[in-house]
Amino acid sequence: MEYKLDRNVHSLLDPRTKLLLLFTSSVFVVGNAGEKRMVVFYWILVYLPVLLLFVEKEWKAGLISVSIYVGSYFAQKALQHDLTALESALALMLYIITKILPTVILARYIVKTTKVSEFLTAMNRLHVTDKLTIPISVIFRFFPTVVEESRSINDAMRMRGVEMGAGKATEAVEYRMVPLIASCSIIGEELSAAAMTRGLDVGKKRSCIWDIRFGIFDFFIITLCLLCFIWWVIGRFCI
Amino acid sequence: MIRFKNVSFQYTKEQDSLKNIDLTINDGDVVLVCGPSGCGKSSLVRCVNGLIPHYYQGRMTGSVTVGETDVSKTTLRKLSRHVGTVFQNPRSQFFNVDTTSELAFGCENFGIEPRDIEQRINSVVNRHGLGKLMDRSIFKLSGGEKQKIACASIAVEPIDVVILDEPSANLDFAGVCELQRMIESWKEEHKTILIAEHRISYLFPYISRALLMNNGEIVKEFTAGEIRKLSEEELHGLGLRAEEMQDPTDISIDTKDAKKSDEKMVLSNMTYSYKGEQPVFDIPQMELPRGEIIGITGANGAGKSTFLRCLCGLERSCKAVLKIDNELWNNQMRLRNIYMVMQDVNHQLFTDSVLEEVMISQETEDREEALKILGSLDLKEYADKHPLSLSGGQKQRVAVASAIASGRNIILFDEPTSGLDYSHMLQVSELLKKLRDKGKTVIIVTHDIELIKNACTIVIPFARLKM
Repeated sequence: MEYKLDRNVHSLLDPRTKLLLLFTSSVFVVGNAGEKRMVVFYWILVYLPVLLLFVEKEWKAGLISVSIYVGSYFAQKALQHDLTALESALALMLYIITKILPTVILARYIVKTTKVSEFLTAMNRLHVTDKLTIPISVIFRFFPTVVEESRSINDAMRMRGVEMGAGKATEAVEYRMVPLIASCSIIGEELSAAAMTRGLDVGKKRSCIWDIRFGIFDFFIITLCLLCFIWWVIGRFCI
Repeated sequence: MIRFKNVSFQYTKEQDSLKNIDLTINDGDVVLVCGPSGCGKSSLVRCVNGLIPHYYQGRMTGSVTVGETDVSKTTLRKLSRHVGTVFQNPRSQFFNVDTTSELAFGCENFGIEPRDIEQRINSVVNRHGLGKLMDRSIFKLSGGEKQKIACASIAVEPIDVVILDEPSANLDFAGVCELQRMIESWKEEHKTILIAEHRISYLFPYISRALLMNNGEIVKEFTAGEIRKLSEEELHGLGLRAEEMQDPTDISIDTKDAKKSDEKMVLSNMTYSYKGEQPVFDIPQMELPRGEIIGITGANGAGKSTFLRCLCGLERSCKAVLKIDNELWNNQMRLRNIYMVMQDVNHQLFTDSVLEEVMISQETEDREEALKILGSLDLKEYADKHPLSLSGGQKQRVAVASAIASGRNIILFDEPTSGLDYSHMLQVSELLKKLRDKGKTVIIVTHDIELIKNACTIVIPFARLKM
């Protein structure tokens, strides 16, 4: 069968939109800027990443996140009376999870759905320097590498019967980290050598086979992000 | 034309990596650079793709020119428009995560029009039948498939020199055949091809000459006809692999070494399938003799490694049971009683000294015993070294030492000789025999025909197992 490259394959959102959304989510969900005044935007920003998971057909991850959200919402409600030490520790943990989880989901979504090449081009169009974008672009490649390597190391530990680190918790961490760092640094070194022999360099114009442009969904998300900031600024400085 | 003028190079102070290389390679030549590990063949090709001196720093004298350009006076980027490289390790040569972008990567860096890149990709993909591999994640491909993508991504670039640095190290018979097809098509396009390898016979139909290196020098030059005539002993004497291209499924070995003991273990209910797919293998029952070196052979991606993982008890969804001495071992039991030396040994060395590595495997830590084991594997002098500072072969021996220390009697090896030259392969083979002499049962999966002939006492073709 004849193969034909389709240059129009891309995810729902443009890489630039994704980054703006990540930034907005960090400010208003993790950073909790604006507090009470931003509550509507806050909930939109919390549930939007889950929506994106469903768009990518990641039903399982999406449903799990929703159930964590709902569960911790009710748990927090239940934990509003006078608390014992254990209960307040639990409440704190739940609070942290609900703050961080949406942004983690979003970051994972971005890494999963953005092609390295798209990212480089998008950053270039924003006039961000290559000195910054090339190292960042390696992250897309390194997330799956780290996952793959950790899995093999974990297997090796199970096989050798040292998961518990011979009794000490520090060893359990050390046994994981030493081989992980060693193999990731080897891969990193070989990877940059390979990329350079293929002409990757800073400050040079490159082309991109993927057609990236803003679409209707980008328009919605960007408007949402801008509204968040405008509403916040009004509350902060004008009232 | 590639020209080396009196080139010498040192990575570190102690040892010369290249000594006084004078060499001229004409356009359209296909040149094999061969020799044992550490002979300098990789350094030689790195001088052509510019990684020496631009990426790997060291002391360099003399000059290398590619076409009209002096390699040391240009940049890697400019050089990359003329020279493309396929590296040994398919895990670390991709910058992108999806295959299609990887094919486009080089051309994008040159700033070629997207529409032209599209056409180039379409033509390479259709020419080599790679349609099935497009738009996939690199992380979901097998080693052989990755190497195909690496070759294809070089084929897409408009370059005139192709460098292959031990490209077959992780390839099986079918993978090598694919590689041959790729080299053939480059040859038709009159590209200059430079190949560093120690598995050489698969290249004979294509090369115009072969350079033999040792200790950083070119010690001999052969024409294609001359090197073809060398006997197996002569090749081994030069540190080269001599295996003929052969389908590992119809290999036969001398079984006179086999002890033919009656002690057997019985593996039953050995099935495994990835989520929602057909089973990779489905073996209702098989007998494995004890105290032998059993070679399980088969193509890349046939499921050999998964077979080992299941046998070792690492795959929770596999419900196999191993019957041994009237005991029935389930996954948990096998995990505690079978030791696996993985293909990438780096993953299974955890501590900061070789001695400690052995001691954590012992039931009760016994320093004297651990040192004795290290001594039997020529590792005593490295007892205080960090395991990750050792060479590949030494690391493998450390893993074996900890296998012995664990007292487990069944030891599995996953491709223990991939990428090794003749003498290192022999070392591994001796190691396996030593284990057998200690009464261990050794099971290896491999596509290394020379290793099978040298070490194995029993061969089981994987394809036949699957039935």
